[in-house]
Amino acid sequence: MADAPQSRAEAIPGSRLPGPYPVGAYAARLRARLRQFAQVQLVGELWGLRRSRTRVYFELRDERGALPCSMWLTDFEAAALEVQDGVRVVVGGGCDYYPGSSSSSPSFSFAVSELRIAGEGDLLAALQRLRVKLAAEGLFEHQKQLPRPLLPRVIGVVTGERGKARDDVLAGLERRGWGGRLVWAFAPVQDRHAAPKIAAALRELAAIEEVEVVIVARGGGSLADLFAFCDETLCRTVALLRVPVISSVGHHTDRTLIDDVAAVCCSTPTHAAEAAVPVDPVAARDSLRGFAGRLHGHGRRALLVRAQLLAQLSRAPFQHLMRHRVRLHQLVRELRAAGRRAADERRNLAGVHLLVLRRSRERALASDLPTRRRGLERLALALAAQDPERTLQRGYALVEDSSGELVTSAAGAALAGDVALRFHDGRVPARVVASEEGAGRE
Amino acid sequence: MNDERTYETAVARLEAIIRRLDSGEAGLREMLELIREGRELVEYCAGELDAVTKGLEELRLEELVARLEGGARDPDAERRSAGPG
Repeated sequence: MADAPQSRAEAIPGSRLPGPYPVGAYAARLRARLRQFAQVQLVGELWGLRRSRTRVYFELRDERGALPCSMWLTDFEAAALEVQDGVRVVVGGGCDYYPGSSSSSPSFSFAVSELRIAGEGDLLAALQRLRVKLAAEGLFEHQKQLPRPLLPRVIGVVTGERGKARDDVLAGLERRGWGGRLVWAFAPVQDRHAAPKIAAALRELAAIEEVEVVIVARGGGSLADLFAFCDETLCRTVALLRVPVISSVGHHTDRTLIDDVAAVCCSTPTHAAEAAVPVDPVAARDSLRGFAGRLHGHGRRALLVRAQLLAQLSRAPFQHLMRHRVRLHQLVRELRAAGRRAADERRNLAGVHLLVLRRSRERALASDLPTRRRGLERLALALAAQDPERTLQRGYALVEDSSGELVTSAAGAALAGDVALRFHDGRVPARVVASEEGAGRE
Repeated sequence: MNDERTYETAVARLEAIIRRLDSGEAGLREMLELIREGRELVEYCAGELDAVTKGLEELRLEELVARLEGGARDPDAERRSAGPG
């Protein structure tokens, strides 16, 4: 200590320590010494950010310790970063000490001259390692194999109580026209305590039997903001839940591990709400009306068609008879017509024949009558010439036996005995007497 | 069947019934039986749709748990006491 004690204060009796020195001098020396510490970069989570007129203050924390930090407001604004509690940052600077005064308190701080969000590359690498590990264990498949109800009556939602995601979920369900029971399980969605509380909320929702599907929703943020949803324990919890989980964490470009593990991953809480109710109740009701109409139509047709068939069958015999009756009438008409046609044709033919005969007779009468008459006269003359009566008239007689047969020889006359002599004017009985020449006449 | 019936199974069965009826291969007795079953399924599905469109009911998880532990079963009573989260 270069400055010699100036006060008149006495030292502590028996103490072997030097001094006492004025505290202001000591504080100044302390600041000088602290400022000699090497300028370094530190990494940790930023907490408790507050602003004064010229400076910003926050704490840098990790699992093993913390450090108060301060930064000129102009430097902070030049960095143009949006930081929130819990974000992992890298700061550059060195130790500093404000020695205070008789009217102001001293303070130690790490004077930050540079600030940036902790490398997302590191986080992404860690995330990828965990992703590969969980995938190898098959934890990405369990949720996807769960049956999802088309029309859940009860939906659980895990989200921040004051986040915009809550309103988005409600808007999505309203747009879907869903009006069942919605169970809110509010939990912090961004800090080191978020993951265990989200997991606990999920377990409690899944323990309620009537909850059929669960939505986990959070709005956008940096990867560091969303890192709670990459927590290994949380992801294992989700993977083994009995109910399907629909995740919507961050913007559509973000991909957290819970998105991989969940049954369905949606880009926005609104879409997550719609995915939780796959069936549009209005469209489903229309479809149902269509089904009912088709059932009614089938039922009506089933009876109507058969009734018509039965009525048709019952009329069949009568119609059969009627057809035959009509056919018979037709045949009768055809027969009558055919008869009339045949009679007419015969009559016409007979007329023609008669005419022909008449003409033939007239021709015959006109041409052959004298000839035929002369022929007849010749025949009559020839016949008269052959008539035996004419021979008898000339004096001849016929000898007939008792039976009327002609006797044409003397021997026949001897044998006949009694005979009759037939003259042209009558018969005379006679007897043949035998003579020396053999025959005589009486 | 009724114990395992859900909206999904009911709709699937209803579609199968309509396909069978449309095919025209069902006899009269089967057709009437299918129509009876189909009408019953339509009523069931309509009931399910009514149940999820009667009005949004919001509950906090703690409220629901307390209600279940308290043995509250009356849906109307639950609805009256429920409020937006």
